[in-house]
Amino acid sequence: MTGNEIVFENVSRFYGDVLGVNRVNLAIPPGITSLVGPNGSGKTTLMNLMTGLLRPSQGRIDILGVAPDDPERLFRFVGYCTQFDSFPRGMTGYQFIYAYLRLHGKPHAEADEMTWRAIDRVKLTDAAARKIAGYSKGMRQRIKLAQAICHNPTVLVLDEPLNGLDPLVRAETIALFRSLAETGKHVIISSHILHEVDAISDQVILLSSGYVVAEGQIHGVRTEVEDHPMQILIRCNRPGALASRIFELDTVVEACVHNDGKGLLVRTRDPDRFYLMLNRLVVDGVDLESVAPADDDVNSVYEYLIGPDGGSI
Amino acid sequence: MNHDSWSLWRAQVAAILRLEIKKNFLAKRGLWIYLLAAAPVVLMWVHAALNLRDHRVCDLGHDSLIFAAMFQFFYLRLAIFFGCVGVFLRLFRGEMMEKSLHYYLLAPVRREVLLVGKYLAGVITTSIIFCTGTALALIALLVHVPRTAAEQYLFAGGGLGHVLAYIGTAALACIGYGGVFLLMGFLFRNPVVPVVLVFLWEGANPFLPALLKRLSVIFYLHSLIPISVPAQGDFAFLAILSTPTPAYLAVAGLLLIALAGLWLAARQVRKLEINYGVE
Amino acid sequence: MAVYKRSYHGYSGALTPEWSRFAIIPRYAYRRLFQSKIMTAFFVLCFVSPLVFLSLIYVANSFGSIAGLFGAKGARSPITIDGEFFLIYLGVQSPLAFILASFVGPGLVSTDLSNRALTLYLARPFSRVEYVIGKMSVLLVLLSTITWIPGLILFGVQSALAGGGWLIHNLWVAWAIFAGFWIWILVIALTALALSAWVKWKIAAGALLLGVFFVGAGLGQAINAVLDVRWGRLINLSDVFAAVWSNLFRMPNGRDISPTSAWIMLALVCASCIWLLYRKLRAVEVVR
Ligand SMILES: Nc1ncnc2c1ncn2[C@@H]1O[C@H](COP(=O)(O)OP(=O)(O)OP(=O)(O)O)[C@@H](O)[C@H]1O
Ligand SMILES: [Mg+2]
Repeated sequence: MTGNEIVFENVSRFYGDVLGVNRVNLAIPPGITSLVGPNGSGKTTLMNLMTGLLRPSQGRIDILGVAPDDPERLFRFVGYCTQFDSFPRGMTGYQFIYAYLRLHGKPHAEADEMTWRAIDRVKLTDAAARKIAGYSKGMRQRIKLAQAICHNPTVLVLDEPLNGLDPLVRAETIALFRSLAETGKHVIISSHILHEVDAISDQVILLSSGYVVAEGQIHGVRTEVEDHPMQILIRCNRPGALASRIFELDTVVEACVHNDGKGLLVRTRDPDRFYLMLNRLVVDGVDLESVAPADDDVNSVYEYLIGPDGGSI
Repeated sequence: MNHDSWSLWRAQVAAILRLEIKKNFLAKRGLWIYLLAAAPVVLMWVHAALNLRDHRVCDLGHDSLIFAAMFQFFYLRLAIFFGCVGVFLRLFRGEMMEKSLHYYLLAPVRREVLLVGKYLAGVITTSIIFCTGTALALIALLVHVPRTAAEQYLFAGGGLGHVLAYIGTAALACIGYGGVFLLMGFLFRNPVVPVVLVFLWEGANPFLPALLKRLSVIFYLHSLIPISVPAQGDFAFLAILSTPTPAYLAVAGLLLIALAGLWLAARQVRKLEINYGVE
Repeated sequence: MAVYKRSYHGYSGALTPEWSRFAIIPRYAYRRLFQSKIMTAFFVLCFVSPLVFLSLIYVANSFGSIAGLFGAKGARSPITIDGEFFLIYLGVQSPLAFILASFVGPGLVSTDLSNRALTLYLARPFSRVEYVIGKMSVLLVLLSTITWIPGLILFGVQSALAGGGWLIHNLWVAWAIFAGFWIWILVIALTALALSAWVKWKIAAGALLLGVFFVGAGLGQAINAVLDVRWGRLINLSDVFAAVWSNLFRMPNGRDISPTSAWIMLALVCASCIWLLYRKLRAVEVVR
């Protein structure tokens, strides 16, 4: 079977007594997929399982029809940029990528050309001849990325690839991921900031304490939230009057005036309509001091699914 | 297909060798291995230089005995032993400590090919270092005696065979100890204690029953060196008294030990996981 | 957007006095060391031999009365407690201290270096010298508890049992125990730290520490044989120590090393260790 998906079938992994991931069932199609979850939720574990650096305690994994314990076939089309910030000693950026490309069995000329292409892609050409040990954090992150993409893999697994990148490079890197995904590749990114990957992902997988708590298209996850009322906090001079007007909207579930008489907490199913209405109310002379979502959209998905103490975002 | 795999594996092993041998030879922290290998060379050359300066005529027979003792007690038991500890433990355990092993495991290389490549790299490094050391020391031995005596020794007295035997034994020692320490790097998170145990085991070789003797590297090496010097005095703790086995058996025994080490290591490498956090 | 002007305020509370600041390192090191069961077991085992020596002292002092119980009046103890007795104690305990040091020592510095953690120490009001003293103190205290401290206790017990005359006559032995052990643990602690700072890898450092002694012995012998000299022995550190110890314990020196050259050799070893530490313990290394 040569599928076009990355399949996890009832996969569990324990570190002694510690739970890494538990009973994971996934089928990841091409496109950008984000693994999101707080620290220690099992993102790295899942990625290591995918690439055979760890073996599952239970269950089966299949990467486009290849088992992870067959590195000779797997890494022809898989590239993995790990979380480890360590490098073989004493190598320059160029040597690092070139030497491991030769492991693919490629002849010098081809490996050399591919190395330069990858280095160009992450814009490290000027630093290629310098020792990696002297690189900055962002440069190390990029040279690792170059190493992961240098052999044009169709499955790219990236563990927190945006860590330590400045905004400009971050935007460029994200654009690089998009362009790879558009050619039908699998790009799997992990992050503990849903915000960061929200906009670029085709699908997200939310992890918490080793369990997959939600997966699917980002819109799907959003609508999930629509069933779950959203809270908005308003500070104004006449909260009572505001409250009475607010209930004209049938999507508002609850409005609750603060004790000090200057604030109002609203729970609504349709924040967009609520904001529109709020604008009209202001025109009618209510003096608004502040309007703030008590939980904004991405945060609330996260909190709703993972629980308020699931980690800070 | 089969032919393709072989040529792929060959290319991959070559790539591993290139990577590893450069690391082995150029590592500044590997300097002590050179020092170990060079110590007898320096000694022999100083000896030669002193004799040449003073126009003394040295007795080749006496000197070659001294060399044999040094080779047997210092080179085989200490220098090559500890040199192999350094090089072969570094191959896997060292890369785990440095958290850089995963780059190998993320390349399209069979784990067994990786193992063989790294082992070969270790063997090549150590045997180049120690065979060169042996050869240079032997040259020193021969340059400071009269030319006729040296020629007599080499071509009439079977000395050429001795020279080749010394160099070959040094290489075989690297092969044998390499297999042992490669395996140890997999089996133990901190191999220092096992290494000490191996050292004591090798030292206790003469007192072991015949069957257990064959489970050590030094036993076979001993059967291969041309002149066996009985240990006395301060060397007693390094003494090896054994009835030698025939050379072909000794070579086979050594290769067998190395192969057994490799085979057991291959079983380990197949289920190797990256768990840097707990190292 | 509101922009607030705030200037940075450093920590202004009280600091630990400078002389005791190094103690932060042993405080945490011991807790971690004794988490290892093997290490704890070995440490406890190191006290077996002092107990044996203690019972020997007891037997030697009350030999008359014990023998009396069996009807042998006026028997004299075959063991005399003198300098030689304590030299034997030294010979038993010092290898144990060495093994302990090769267990503990390499992990102290090399892990900090290989994880680039030295910066964390040096970013605080904590100097390199304090760092080294802190790490050394871990080893020195640990080794002291199994070497000269029980040694002096044994000496005290012996003087209590044998009376003031023995004490006055043998006071120099106490000094010999103290000095003999101190020079030993000082040198091996320094060597362990220096080697682990050099190779930055715990395992290699452990092996190297063992190697220094074994290889030194073999090499010294080879030098003597090839060059037909006697000073090769100076490379054999265990011989050097033997010479120093027999000098301290006023025993005849079986090795042909003069005490002066032995002391100079030890000073050289210490100096080169300190130099290595000075070179290698840097917060940041410039990479070229
Ligand atoms: N080598 C290990 N030994 C024991 N437990 C481990 C090990 N590696 C991971 N774990 C545990 O497995 C769980 C998942 O860890 P994992 O590294 O996958 O988290 P993560 O989502 O990648 O976190 P982060 O965002 O911090 O990278 C955690 O509880 C962690 O403590
Ligand atoms: Mg992670």
